[in-house]
Amino acid sequence: MNTFDSLAIIAVAALIHASFQLSVSMLTLLSSHTIGAKRSHARLLGLTNAFTFGVFVMTVLLMSAAALYVQIGLQSADLTLLWIVICGLLFGLGAAVWIFYYRREQGTALWIPRGMARYLSDRTKAAKQTGEAFGLGVSSVLAELLFSFAPLLVSAIILAQLAPSLQLVGILLYAVLSLLPLLIILGLVGSGHKISRIQRWREENKSFLQFIAGGGLVVLGFYLYVDQVLTPTVMAAAGGV
Amino acid sequence: MTSRPLIDVVKRGGKRTTERFDTGKLHASVLAACLSVRSPEGMARSAADSVCTVVNEWCSAKPEVTSDDLRRVAARHLERIHPEAAYLYKHHRLVL
Repeated sequence: MNTFDSLAIIAVAALIHASFQLSVSMLTLLSSHTIGAKRSHARLLGLTNAFTFGVFVMTVLLMSAAALYVQIGLQSADLTLLWIVICGLLFGLGAAVWIFYYRREQGTALWIPRGMARYLSDRTKAAKQTGEAFGLGVSSVLAELLFSFAPLLVSAIILAQLAPSLQLVGILLYAVLSLLPLLIILGLVGSGHKISRIQRWREENKSFLQFIAGGGLVVLGFYLYVDQVLTPTVMAAAGGV
Repeated sequence: MTSRPLIDVVKRGGKRTTERFDTGKLHASVLAACLSVRSPEGMARSAADSVCTVVNEWCSAKPEVTSDDLRRVAARHLERIHPEAAYLYKHHRLVL
C-alpha cells in the first residue's frame, strides 16, 4: 500500500468516525443550555471550544495508543488474519449502525442506554466551567467507543506501517477530520445561528446520516478485504502455480 | 410566581418522586427554551407568562397531573406563539 492509499484510508475512517453523533448531540445540548441560561457569548464560546478540545485530545490519545499497541503487536501477529478480523468487525458494526444507531422515536435519541443518556444530558446541562466542558468532550469520545473502535483500529494498523514522520500527519489528519461536524456546529453557534435549526436539520437527516455511517463501515470493510486479504492471497496462489 | 400546593405532579410515569406543581419551574423552563433560540428577553418572558397562564387554567381543577401532561399542554400553547422554542422545548430530552 503506498502513502497516498494509506492516508486516503485514514481519511475515510476519520470521516466515518465523524458521522457518529454522540459528541454532536452533547455539543448541541451544551450550547442550547448555555444560551438558555443567559450566559455571555464569551462563556458560550469558552465552553464549546473546551468541549471540542476535549474531543480532539481524547481522539489523539486513543489513536496514538492504538497505533503504539498495534506497532508492538504487529511484529508477531499474522497481518492477514488481523485484517480478516477487522473486516468482519467493520461489516458487523456497519449492520449494527443501520439497525440500532438511532432509536425509533422522535428527535435524535441514540443507541446509548437511557440511564447513561440521562446522566450525560444532566452533566451537560450542569456544565458551567470550561474544565467540565473539556471533561464532557473526553467522555463523549469514550462513550462512543463501541462504534468508533473499528475506524480507530483500521487507522492504527495503517499508521503502524507508515514512516514515523508520516505517522504524526496521519494522527492529525484523523483527529481533524473526525472533528469536522463539531467544528461546523462550533462555527454556526459562534456566528449566532439558532440551535433549533441545527437540531431540526439533524433530526430531518438522521436516516441519511445513519445510512452513510453504516454504509461507510461496510464499504471500507469490503475495500480492505479485497485489498489486504483477497489480493495478496490470490497473488500468492498465482505465484505458487 | 407562587407555588400551588394543591396540585401534585407525577414525574416520569411515577418512576421519580411526586412533587408539588411549581409555576416558577415551568416559567423557567419555557423561558430557557425561548432564550435558547435567541429570542429577545422581553419576548421570551412574555411567551413564558402566557404559557404559565394557560397551564394554570388547565390544571386548576385537577388534584394531580403528570409531568408529561404539563409538558404537552405547555408545548401545544408555545407552538402557537413561538414554534422554534416549542420545538426545543418538546425535544430537549430526545437530543441524546
